[in-house]
Amino acid sequence: MVAATAPKAITQAEVTGPGAWWCSGCGDFGVTAAFKQVLLTVVNDLNIPLERVFAFSGIGCSSKEPEMLQVNSYHGQHGRSIPVATGLAVANPGLMVVDFGGDGDSYAIGMEHLIHACVRNVNMTLIVMNNQVYGLTKGQASPTAHIGLRTSSTPEGKKGRSVNPLRLAIAAGAAFVGRGVSWNKNELADLMRKAVSTRGFSLLDVFSPCVTYHREPGFRGSGPIVDWYKSNYVLNIRDAWRDMRDQVFTAEERANLPAEYDPTSPGAATSALRLIEAAGGIGREVTGLLLVDESHPTLDENLGVTAERAPALADVSLASNLRSYRELLEGLR
Amino acid sequence: MRRIQVCGAGRAGDGTNTNILTLGQALKDQGAWVFLWREEVYSNIQTRDSAFGLRADDRPVHGPDDEFDILEAFDRGAFLDIGGEGRVPPIERLKAGGVVLYDSSPRLEYPNAGYEITPEMVSEHVLARGMRVFGLPMGQIAKERFGRYILRGSVALGVLSHLLAIPEEAFLRRLRASFGKDSELVTQNAQAMAAGRQYAQEQGWRLPDMTLAFDRQDGDRQFLLGNEAVAAGAIVAGCRFYAGYPITPASEILEFMAEKLPSFGGAVIQADSEMAAAHHVIGAGVAGARAMTATAGPGFSLMQEAISAAGMTETPMLIVVCQRGGPATGLPTRVGQEDLNETVFGGHGDFARIVLAASEPEAAFYTIGRAFNLTERYQSPVFLLLDQVTAQSTYTVPSLDPSLFVIDRGKLLDEAAIARAHRGNGRRYRRYELTDDGISPRVIPGASGVTTYYVNSNEHTEEGYISEEAAVRKAMVEKRVVQRMAQIRKDSDLPPPRISGPEDAAIGFVGYGSVCGPIREAMERLAADGRPARLLELQTLWPFPSREVRRFVRGCRTVHVVEYSAGAQLRGLIQREATGPMPRKLRSILRYDGRLITPGYVIQEMERGT
Repeated sequence: MVAATAPKAITQAEVTGPGAWWCSGCGDFGVTAAFKQVLLTVVNDLNIPLERVFAFSGIGCSSKEPEMLQVNSYHGQHGRSIPVATGLAVANPGLMVVDFGGDGDSYAIGMEHLIHACVRNVNMTLIVMNNQVYGLTKGQASPTAHIGLRTSSTPEGKKGRSVNPLRLAIAAGAAFVGRGVSWNKNELADLMRKAVSTRGFSLLDVFSPCVTYHREPGFRGSGPIVDWYKSNYVLNIRDAWRDMRDQVFTAEERANLPAEYDPTSPGAATSALRLIEAAGGIGREVTGLLLVDESHPTLDENLGVTAERAPALADVSLASNLRSYRELLEGLR
Repeated sequence: MRRIQVCGAGRAGDGTNTNILTLGQALKDQGAWVFLWREEVYSNIQTRDSAFGLRADDRPVHGPDDEFDILEAFDRGAFLDIGGEGRVPPIERLKAGGVVLYDSSPRLEYPNAGYEITPEMVSEHVLARGMRVFGLPMGQIAKERFGRYILRGSVALGVLSHLLAIPEEAFLRRLRASFGKDSELVTQNAQAMAAGRQYAQEQGWRLPDMTLAFDRQDGDRQFLLGNEAVAAGAIVAGCRFYAGYPITPASEILEFMAEKLPSFGGAVIQADSEMAAAHHVIGAGVAGARAMTATAGPGFSLMQEAISAAGMTETPMLIVVCQRGGPATGLPTRVGQEDLNETVFGGHGDFARIVLAASEPEAAFYTIGRAFNLTERYQSPVFLLLDQVTAQSTYTVPSLDPSLFVIDRGKLLDEAAIARAHRGNGRRYRRYELTDDGISPRVIPGASGVTTYYVNSNEHTEEGYISEEAAVRKAMVEKRVVQRMAQIRKDSDLPPPRISGPEDAAIGFVGYGSVCGPIREAMERLAADGRPARLLELQTLWPFPSREVRRFVRGCRTVHVVEYSAGAQLRGLIQREATGPMPRKLRSILRYDGRLITPGYVIQEMERGT
């Protein structure tokens, strides 16, 4: 994917689109700011031409992301950005594919595609702006809404269970699984950089609070809702590793564990699943980099296509193919 | 004899299909025009009744005739409605004086065990009608001589080879080509065939009136499924991306692509659903690949959302719809033409589209080449309608010539053209640029100088950004729908209706797909009876060729619209787009029991209606 010669350096203004879609204080602004930093890294430091970046989105507030950027993009329908992105990623493996979704988009209507994208190991990054509600349809509960959350569709508080996307992605074999928070731009940008440079399917879930419809008693407004997340909801995987290891792992297991959580270790998937479970037990959701595993072939590798041998760039002229076409028809007699 | 119709009837999984295919291949190699179809196939792998048809003729045939000359009865399902569900067993369609070759073994093996044919069944159902009957213990011979029950099909072929004077070499050549000339399988099958022949000779069996002879040995002709013709045509047309989900009767396209496309540098994804498959096709289309999918009714319903997205985003998309009996799961393995409305009117919202149809593999092969040009030229979804018969029957057609294809990728800018259009003038690429002809140039994403390729399923500006402004909306709708359809209507790549029969004929037929072969044969019989008739075969269903159809209908006294649809979807479209109601003149010949329309069925229904 690296160009022979360094592409022209770009500025943040050059990747900024004209969009103005989000409420004041929306977490999605933080996601956008972090991603623009990543674009500058990609082009200016990794020498990947901006032309090779292709963004996708579905439907929801989060999916307005391409409007906020200026990169080649496909803004599709609700839940369907993943299969469209998959088609493009296979048709031209030379493109860097980044898909922006929301928690309804990716974890409800698009769930079928998400799981299969993990299993197939499509070489793309999915960044999910997770806010626990359907913002653009005015505040109904999403699959990630926590138990007890009151919304317009859960007037007595959400019941049952919530989708845990990290657990699903790990179980389905994603190459990268992580979670950032929109209010910590530098850390988020760092997670994004790792996600886009991981070969295979990357799921980066981002807590990106809805300042209008995610209503926690006593935490109204953009500052307070972030405070609610910080004080009531998130738990960094590094902290969980430190604070919960005695309760999660047996003494025998602990003897072989590294001092710091290591997302690249062979046991990372299992450790992460157990920490997610333990954190859930105290009403917390883990954040941070949970897993990087590039040991499995990607979909494009399995299909034998490459940047140089891309279906989208194939020479389909009759002249260059006529002999093999005749052979093909010879087999149908 | 220069024509024959054979039915092989047994049980799913017992090798009847292979038996008929092998006989068909041999006859095709002897110079016959052979047509093979699924006479009775349940949505079942083993155990249910099954029957396969073969027709060999000295001219092209595109459908079954009404009666069989020979019935190969591999178990009692050939004679009896075993389940008592009103099934018409194949023996009922054997012509008077026809031939029955049945397995007279006292014991059959799985899946035929328990379905043995007893002498009483034969006398009751067969001898009474003056049939000529040959009881061949084929299962027993195969088991006792070769230890393999499945070889009984070859024992039967040995008998047919003797009775019909088909050289055994004709069979063996095919077997050697499939399995390799030194293969044990070839030897075993050759021995089984010889055993059958020997048995027939010992019994003194002869059928001098049915000896087959065809004019010429023509190795040039193709012998293929409609689905294979579509898949091969797509590859020749430059298709390099295929996504699909297994579904009858379209799966052979997925399988053919999975086998062949990678060697042409293409990719095949077996998707997690038809919904995913259609969206993969959009993604590949956006990337610049020629991409397609194929499906049947239930899968096509799942694709409607993607079709609408292709319409809005102006992304090329080609979908082959192999129709079967619906609605819902319906009749998975049997014919229907109930998805016409969904192709013409499906997908939410207004957008331009093209619906084509093919009635046999030769047409399907060349039509899909045009379909790829059309979908890229107009950046709009294109559908190719087949039905279970056209999709899954094996036809003999003239040699297919890939050099006749023309590849036109429409307004697809290469890097030089992008540089010319945008160099130094500060104007950035706009995906939905308003142009004189209403078609915005595409580029292959990744092309140098283009970072503003913004595709949007929301209503959008020329740049692709969301807009709900009235003026923008109006301009974009007019570009996408009004101007686009006006241009499509004038395109000479849309295959025109094919009209056959004398111009002054009073009786008219209209149809598309597999009904056309049987209609043509019905017309021959009507002409011989002093009742000349004409046929208008539709090859483009949208934009509907209103003028041609109107003129055709005007020229006939009565017009029979023949289709596999209880809802008479084609007649409805004709009335809506061409003629108005015309209740006295426009009539329907319908079949919706999942069985094939034959020439006799056409005449019978026509006479019933008049």
